[in-house]
Amino acid sequence: MTGRRSLPLPQGPFPPTEEMLAQPVPEAEQKRGADQLRAAWKTPTGWRYWSAVNNSEVGTWYSLTALTFMLIAGLLALAMRVQLAFPDSTFLDADRFNQFFTMHGSAMMFLFAVPMFEAISILLLPAFLGARDMPFPRLSAYGYWCFLIGGCFVLGSLLFDAAPKAGWFMYPPLATKEDGIGPDIWLLGLSFIEVASIAAAVELIVGALKCRPPGMRVNVMPLYAWYVMVVGGMILFAFPPLIAGDFLFELERSFDWPFFDPTRGGDPILWQHLFWIFGHPEVYIVFLPSIAIASMIVPTVARRPIVGYSWIVLSAVGTGFLSFGLWVHHMFTTGLPQISLGFFSAASEAVVIPTGIQLFAFVATLMVGRVKMSLPMLWIAGALAIFVAGGLTGVMLAIVPFNWQVHDTYFIVAHLHYTLFGGMVFPVLAWVYYFYPFLRKKLLSETLGRWAFWLIFTGFNVTFLPMHLTGLKGMPRRVFTYPESSGWGWLNLISTIGAFVIAAGFAVFLYDLLRPKKDQPQIPRNPWGAGTLEFSHEVPAEAWGVRSVPYIHSRYPLWDQPKLVERMDAGRFYLQDAPDHQRETIVTSVIDGTPMYVQRVTGPAWITLLAAGFTGGAFIFPTFHIYTPAIISGAFAIVCVLYWLWTSTARPPKDDLREAGLGLRLPTYASGPDSVGWWAMWITMLGDATAFASLIFGFFFYWTARPDFPPAGADHAIGVWVVAAGVLLVAAWASTVAAREANSRGRIIIARTALLVAPILALAGAAAAYMAVRQMDPTSHVYPAIMWALMIWLVAHVLAGVIMQGYCLAGSVWGKLTDKYDADLRNVTLYWHFMALKAVTTAVILGLVPGWLS
Amino acid sequence: MTDIRQIKNTSVYPSETTSVWRITFAPLVWALHFAISYGATALVCAKGGQVGALRLGLGGVTAVALLAIIWLAWRAWRHWDIVRDRDWENDAGTNEDRHQFLGHAAFLLAIISFIGVAYVSLPPLLIQTCQ
Repeated sequence: MTGRRSLPLPQGPFPPTEEMLAQPVPEAEQKRGADQLRAAWKTPTGWRYWSAVNNSEVGTWYSLTALTFMLIAGLLALAMRVQLAFPDSTFLDADRFNQFFTMHGSAMMFLFAVPMFEAISILLLPAFLGARDMPFPRLSAYGYWCFLIGGCFVLGSLLFDAAPKAGWFMYPPLATKEDGIGPDIWLLGLSFIEVASIAAAVELIVGALKCRPPGMRVNVMPLYAWYVMVVGGMILFAFPPLIAGDFLFELERSFDWPFFDPTRGGDPILWQHLFWIFGHPEVYIVFLPSIAIASMIVPTVARRPIVGYSWIVLSAVGTGFLSFGLWVHHMFTTGLPQISLGFFSAASEAVVIPTGIQLFAFVATLMVGRVKMSLPMLWIAGALAIFVAGGLTGVMLAIVPFNWQVHDTYFIVAHLHYTLFGGMVFPVLAWVYYFYPFLRKKLLSETLGRWAFWLIFTGFNVTFLPMHLTGLKGMPRRVFTYPESSGWGWLNLISTIGAFVIAAGFAVFLYDLLRPKKDQPQIPRNPWGAGTLEFSHEVPAEAWGVRSVPYIHSRYPLWDQPKLVERMDAGRFYLQDAPDHQRETIVTSVIDGTPMYVQRVTGPAWITLLAAGFTGGAFIFPTFHIYTPAIISGAFAIVCVLYWLWTSTARPPKDDLREAGLGLRLPTYASGPDSVGWWAMWITMLGDATAFASLIFGFFFYWTARPDFPPAGADHAIGVWVVAAGVLLVAAWASTVAAREANSRGRIIIARTALLVAPILALAGAAAAYMAVRQMDPTSHVYPAIMWALMIWLVAHVLAGVIMQGYCLAGSVWGKLTDKYDADLRNVTLYWHFMALKAVTTAVILGLVPGWLS
Repeated sequence: MTDIRQIKNTSVYPSETTSVWRITFAPLVWALHFAISYGATALVCAKGGQVGALRLGLGGVTAVALLAIIWLAWRAWRHWDIVRDRDWENDAGTNEDRHQFLGHAAFLLAIISFIGVAYVSLPPLLIQTCQ
């Protein structure tokens, strides 16, 4: 710990007193600070614009891309509605119809709903928190480019008639047996995007926890930040099971390992579990951030603070937890024991309580406030009406016998569209109208907005309300046509007419969004009279986020803290200049927002684009079963990421302390749990551990679901090698910890030796793990296959760990990592803590558990 | 004027680095109870075990979970301290308000977790077979 102690601590007065804040900033000082900041935060121009990483740029691209994908998915829906308008129609053939509904669902969920949340948060979170940028801007940019490449790849398959067609949940055996590359495109393309989602989640959680302005304690932070934190946590525990499932699925598709093939001990139900453990929380991952937008708009409209702040926090956190106990309500007809179904039915009813509480809090706020109706509020009102209707059918569907009746009928289609339109689409549109002045410094048209609202609202109900009846009359989902004798014709025709009304509404909205607004006069800074920090934005725009990072001690600072904006503009607060012309933001403590240090933030770069391109190659080539270029691409992606980390993260600073304003002197470097990098590693590893746990769940699932697991007389992993793998990997972990300790005590030679030994031990451990399962044939039965899958998972993580150890060794040799500046080594040690845990667990499962079970 | 170096030592309410996690303890009890209920049922029903013993065992687990949640709720109630100062909003930027807010949030989450556990305990109470 001596290493950390030799880094300086923050010095100077905090919190600032009123006298300190009242002192004017000299004119020359203001100009100097502003010029320096402008130089540091300059957005690249010309073709270099695309190398920008600033949250306002990346967020704009992100949201426009997600919007485009949404419109494409919407057009697919329109084509389906045309096909279904009349019985026995031949507008689309069955095959194309299957591709369309599969891509409609997949694109709306993976290419619109989740990315849109990330886009909005990347755009707004720093503004809500008075921060300059997100903690890891290049990670956002990398995530965006991954999303763009992956999204174009997945949607592009439609043009070649090669899109997946087994439904958005890809149930095996239909999807595992499907010819062509459709399912591979779905699995690999969307896995690639899921990785980007997890990257965004890490960034948003760290942003909400560590990048709040000085003084902003957890009890005064904007509700949006609470929601972002909860949703980030949910992504971390919901997406990894799907990634683990994709991993098994792709192994079956590519190498015929029978995870979901019942003839060789597999079980298709495992996929349903892994998919819906992701899929149901996903609904709330989409819903919570959207309702978070309502929690920002409602107080502005009511012109008073939100009623029941703590209750809304309860609502967000409670929903976040309970939503993980619902997944089997998508699987009520799979033949699970009645008691098991009961658990999920009960939890599905319980989740209504926290979900309802926040809606009542909004209504209460509106009742006691002095409501000034506005266009964004109209959209929120529409959202609540539609969402409540969807929620009520949700309560019906949570009841098992009713669910059996309407399973896979249009009643479900109606229900899910009511929840998603009310819970996601309408709030997002409200967001566009409310924040357009913040984003583009212009206003959208009030008249066109009302037209768009009433068209979409009416069209929506005309389309989806009849579907409840269509479903109750027995029309199944995912059929490309139906006979005239069914009597569903008139209902379908009404739905189709409604769909076109929705489309007309979107056309009006799009025109309003994209029409040139050059003649519009300059708008006021705070057009809605909001109380939260984002409307302290500068008009016309400046790229620096905030001129100076304010001291915040209330929930609605623009209402409660007099002269706040004026002082922010004058540079009265923190980080009012940029002497080294570097991008920086302030990092504070998790609970109380006490300033801790100044974090250097990365600037424009092409390396993120390059890294995303190569990562794309690593995922896209295997779709066509070409593996050599995929491996080369993957290697280049790693090189790019290493270059980016090496050149611009955790470099020893020029000075240990920086004048941060108001007499406060803050350190410029942090290591271990103080630093944002350590938090990012910790959060990433939680997600990674969840994916690993999902594989382990798979192992035990086979054991409970199948009588022949492990099969009698099967080959088992070789005990000696299993023990060797466990021991060697734990030794590699110990060596890494020893390196950290020696390094922080200044014993550089010992540290380097340990960092040299550790990767050798690790590689030997990986080799031993391979030797342990080498003689088992993974195509013969699911038992050897899952053993192999665990081994591959372990070895891949060991290889990543070896690269990290090598990175630290190189850092030590070339002076990037010293006894004082050891953030890299501490982060890598954290990785290895998890690695040791995984190694021991894998060894126990490989070596001991089969013996116990049989 | 307070020096930033004294902040951690002078506060009446300790910095509570772990307390933002502490509000999740009651929901975590719910999650654990849920996982045990689901896992045990899957196991007993798949391997042909005694449903009676399962129902009894889950009843015991439910009792423990409810007691744990009540205990967490009682602690959170004391943090919230509503009886003494009647502050419902806790919206000031002070140590005291932050402390009481976290107590309030934890208390509410304990209530919702209690309801959640009670709901999930109903199926084994009412259903007598695996079928």
